[in-house]
Amino acid sequence: MPKRATIGLSLVVMLASGYAVFAATGWPWKAALFPLAIGIPLFCLATTELLWAWFGAEEKRDSMELALSTDAVAGRRVVLVAGWMLAFFAAIVLLGFMIAVPLFLFLYLKLQAREGWPMSIGLTLIVFAAFYGLFDALLHLPFPAGVLF
Amino acid sequence: MSEALLEGLLLVLQWKALAFMSLGIVLGFWVGLLPGLGGATTLALMLPFIYNMQPVEAFAFLLGMHAVTATTGDITSVLFGVPGEAASAATILDGHAMAKKGEAGRALGAALASSLVGALVGAAALALAVPVVRPLVLTFGSPELFMLAIMGLAFIASLSSHGGRGLVRGFMAGALGLLLSTVGQDPQAGVPRYTFDSLYLWQGLDLVPVLVGIFAIPEILELAARGTSIAGSLPAGKISRGAFEGVKDTFRHFWLTIRCSLIGTFIGIMPGLGGSVAQWMAYGHAAQSARDAEERKGFGAGDVRGVLGPGAANNSKEGGSLIPTIAFGVPGSTAMAILLGGFVLLGLVPGPDMLSKYLSVTYSMVWTIVIANLVTVVVCFLFLDRLARLTGVRGGILIPMILLLVFVGSFTSNNHYGDIVVTLAFGAMGYFMVLAGWPRAPFVLGLVLGKIAENYLWISVARYEAAWLTRPVVVVLIVISVAVILYPLFQARRRGAHA
Repeated sequence: MPKRATIGLSLVVMLASGYAVFAATGWPWKAALFPLAIGIPLFCLATTELLWAWFGAEEKRDSMELALSTDAVAGRRVVLVAGWMLAFFAAIVLLGFMIAVPLFLFLYLKLQAREGWPMSIGLTLIVFAAFYGLFDALLHLPFPAGVLF
Repeated sequence: MSEALLEGLLLVLQWKALAFMSLGIVLGFWVGLLPGLGGATTLALMLPFIYNMQPVEAFAFLLGMHAVTATTGDITSVLFGVPGEAASAATILDGHAMAKKGEAGRALGAALASSLVGALVGAAALALAVPVVRPLVLTFGSPELFMLAIMGLAFIASLSSHGGRGLVRGFMAGALGLLLSTVGQDPQAGVPRYTFDSLYLWQGLDLVPVLVGIFAIPEILELAARGTSIAGSLPAGKISRGAFEGVKDTFRHFWLTIRCSLIGTFIGIMPGLGGSVAQWMAYGHAAQSARDAEERKGFGAGDVRGVLGPGAANNSKEGGSLIPTIAFGVPGSTAMAILLGGFVLLGLVPGPDMLSKYLSVTYSMVWTIVIANLVTVVVCFLFLDRLARLTGVRGGILIPMILLLVFVGSFTSNNHYGDIVVTLAFGAMGYFMVLAGWPRAPFVLGLVLGKIAENYLWISVARYEAAWLTRPVVVVLIVISVAVILYPLFQARRRGAHA
């Protein structure tokens, strides 16, 4: 999995930096200087990393980073939570924050976390009250209405 | 000077100034905890309220609020891996890793104690340095400031992973950050770069949604993948213990804390670099303090020095950035630029008057930083046990709460849905970077430094052409950068020869 991630990421960075250099060639010198100065070395580094990942042996993880769980169960859970995130975003756009926030909190707690009814309803009400009180009533942050409501 | 220092203290201790400072501390405390609500934004929101205040009261209110945001920003970084402030992102790498090992109390203790030491060093620097800092600031022109940015990037890129391949990955991540910082309207020619006809991208990528995404989303995904609480299956009693151990860590690594505080102060003094740069430079320095490669591997996995460095630098930079603001009217950061607006509102002119006629007001600012940080740290310690116990709450309950913080935090940066899209996109990128073993620290520093570095590079080239490369301070900084890049390779080679 790390090897596939490295190859995929290197390929994306290689293509992105290639496009960045190509696009910069059409700009005035003032605007193109920095993207070219960074984009060209980045393309070379990404190519090196891609070749290294493709032909080299799998390296032991040694950067200052967290260790991720990569077994099959963990992979399924990651995909599921990523789906919840996308659903939350879609709900915000379609229904607006004021409906999406309590709806998401309740559904996640009930369906995903499998909490009981009292816990799901109670926590949803407490967190929504805190969210509404702080961001809407106190700070008057302009949360737009949703596309549908 | 000592008379003015005492007078400054007495001014701050007047009941009205103390009351306004307390109000500022309470506001700053919550602003620091909430991702997206930045200290600078809150300073701007509070400016209209100082019209009727005396200068000492107004600065006690504004600085009291601003001085504590970095301290409390570390709390969410340690507990949930969500940066409360852009300037507290570096604390996540080791602070949150410690929380996952059941050492949340110790990490918070270390973050708070080092923050206090940093604030005291920054305040002392402000008190002592005003008369002597002028030549230093004047020595650093655009070429030197550009090289300083590059040196910071070299530090973090070479130290964030190991060996030749680690160097490639570190520099690639840094370069990617620099390249993405060019998204938006170009400041020199006004050309929209990589905006894909999107008006949202014209202003460039906002730092808060990117930081929240790249750090918080992978942590949330990993928390879901493990299916446990942040601290795993450790007993709750163990999690909240160790706050005092964190304080002792600060004194165990006292010179590192002092050095990182000085780095923060120095970066604070330099106009335009700011707190986000200071924390990463300090983190790089803390990682460099590891005696060998084996010890360095502990960084990112929960080494307390990775918490002490950024914690100290974050708070010491406030004193540092006040120096050019007060002495020359040159703000060292966005927050200081807003504070400069406060000077104007109160009818004060930064410059020589602040060092003579209004010296006691200047020193009242020093005392405000000291007192506000002392109060915050003491208050935080009172609640530390309860805060640390949050890492024992089941992941299923925590995840929707953290996600809410992430979404609202990123949305409130610009009140635009694009902010959430950016958070999700960089969240996915952060996850794959971690999976592939690419360090995120150089990427973030590249993104932070990109705009500054481009401006300084362009001014250097336009003003001096290639001759900027031969300026003495530039040459010294180039030599240091090359040494920093080559040192890990040299160290690895020497280790290979010994084996």
